[in-house]
Amino acid sequence: MTHMNRKGFLELVSSLAGTTVLASQMPWFGIFNNPSGAGNGPSDRVRVGFIGVGSRGHTLMLNVQDFQDRMNVDIVAVCDNWPEHKERAERLTNGKAESFLDYREMLEKVPMDAVIIATPLHEHAQMTIDALNLGIHVFVEKAMARTLDDTRAMYDAYIESGKVMLVGHQRLFSPVYLKSMDMIHNGHLGSITMMRGWWTRNREWVFYDVPGGRGSELDRRRNWRLYWDYSAGQITELGSHHFQIANWVLGAEPLSVTGSGSLNFFKDGREVHDNFSLVFKYPGGIHFSYDVLQSNMHNGMGFQVLGNTGTMELEANRMFEEDPPKPPAIRTMLHNIESSIFDTVPIGGATWVPDEAVTYGGEYISGDYELNETQLYLEGFVEFVRKGQAPRKLTDEGYNASTWSLVAEQASRTGGMQTLPEKYKIKNYSI
Amino acid sequence: MKDIVVKASVIKRELILLGVLFFVAFLMNGLAIVVHQGQWSELLSQLHVVVLLTLFLYLLVLLMRLIFWGIRSAWNAAMNNRNNSAA
Repeated sequence: MTHMNRKGFLELVSSLAGTTVLASQMPWFGIFNNPSGAGNGPSDRVRVGFIGVGSRGHTLMLNVQDFQDRMNVDIVAVCDNWPEHKERAERLTNGKAESFLDYREMLEKVPMDAVIIATPLHEHAQMTIDALNLGIHVFVEKAMARTLDDTRAMYDAYIESGKVMLVGHQRLFSPVYLKSMDMIHNGHLGSITMMRGWWTRNREWVFYDVPGGRGSELDRRRNWRLYWDYSAGQITELGSHHFQIANWVLGAEPLSVTGSGSLNFFKDGREVHDNFSLVFKYPGGIHFSYDVLQSNMHNGMGFQVLGNTGTMELEANRMFEEDPPKPPAIRTMLHNIESSIFDTVPIGGATWVPDEAVTYGGEYISGDYELNETQLYLEGFVEFVRKGQAPRKLTDEGYNASTWSLVAEQASRTGGMQTLPEKYKIKNYSI
Repeated sequence: MKDIVVKASVIKRELILLGVLFFVAFLMNGLAIVVHQGQWSELLSQLHVVVLLTLFLYLLVLLMRLIFWGIRSAWNAAMNNRNNSAA
């Protein structure tokens, strides 16, 4: 297996330059072929602010700091309404960034080109709209918003402002997914007939221990992912990533989603489901089944694309041919001799073969890579900010994954089939 | 302690046997390639399997020879006892 470093990644992007796949499926990667070429002067500097520097926001900040010298980026302001988060972020910049408890004050007082928003889900919409209306480019964590109306309002503000608005589905910038999408859209798996995804873990998913415990007002604010008012739980916080991939693979959005969810293990006062199963129906009769379980981690997380000539396991970076390479003939012969001596009575007739799972290990889709897709996404964001625009498809991917997360939430809570109302559909979404 | 002397003729016989078994294993590889439509390059790339198969066959033949020698020794011993009793 080859090792993919930054040079290898740029070579891969360069090799795909000019291909229809790159142009139609993932035009944003073109930014690495055609960077803005900005210099190191103050006039070329991209000034970035952060709203929300808790767990995820802190990680994003570390990523930006990692490339800020190379890409001439300045973190000019940080904001969080939890004083300890605000102070930690301020320390991280050695006091160079101004810090605020109120994002409005930050946006009004500090001149900046872009803002990165990583606050609780229900706060994304107003912050994004306020920033866009002030002419500030936005990178907002996924999912976009807590309600369909808020999500649509963000999208409308983005269109109206003409600014960049990107949603944090970082697999959009993963070298493995880049390679996978190129192969899938070039027919490597034949006809795509089904997709399967799952996300399983065995932990409480509690970020902060607070006095008062589960259900208290403080817990609702800090562990907001556990309460319907602020989050749809793992649907919006995790599943959204995989819903985006499913749309990306098929170049389409679902027609409907059916599902069911419940709280069957963590009965500690939280509200969001700790398990659910969904089935998305896509054009052409293609189904995408998705399972989430929070009380068993055996299967980890995964995403499979199944075609009539092969299977890809995208999260595992592996691909399996339907007709795998044959083992050496001598081994087949020895295996047959061994079977004829030691095997017991067959369980079926000569024409019946048990449908056992394929056990061969498959091939790597892409070389092992040292690149961090979150950082690549943020680098891309900075380049788009410099250019003043980003491919709309990139934002549309985030929008569609976000809206369908909320539709999936309705399906899992009602146990019925749900569709996206027409007024929330955006035009020109195509492969 | 008693020295064990292996005669040159025994070494030569065992080496010839090993060579014959290697040839048999090599032929099996060729046959397998024809039967299972493998690549002819496997004649070389699977030599390690052929070597292992040769050793397996040698051990098999050794086992058979030990059994044969055991039976023959038992038979000879029985015959000697009968002759001694008759005398």
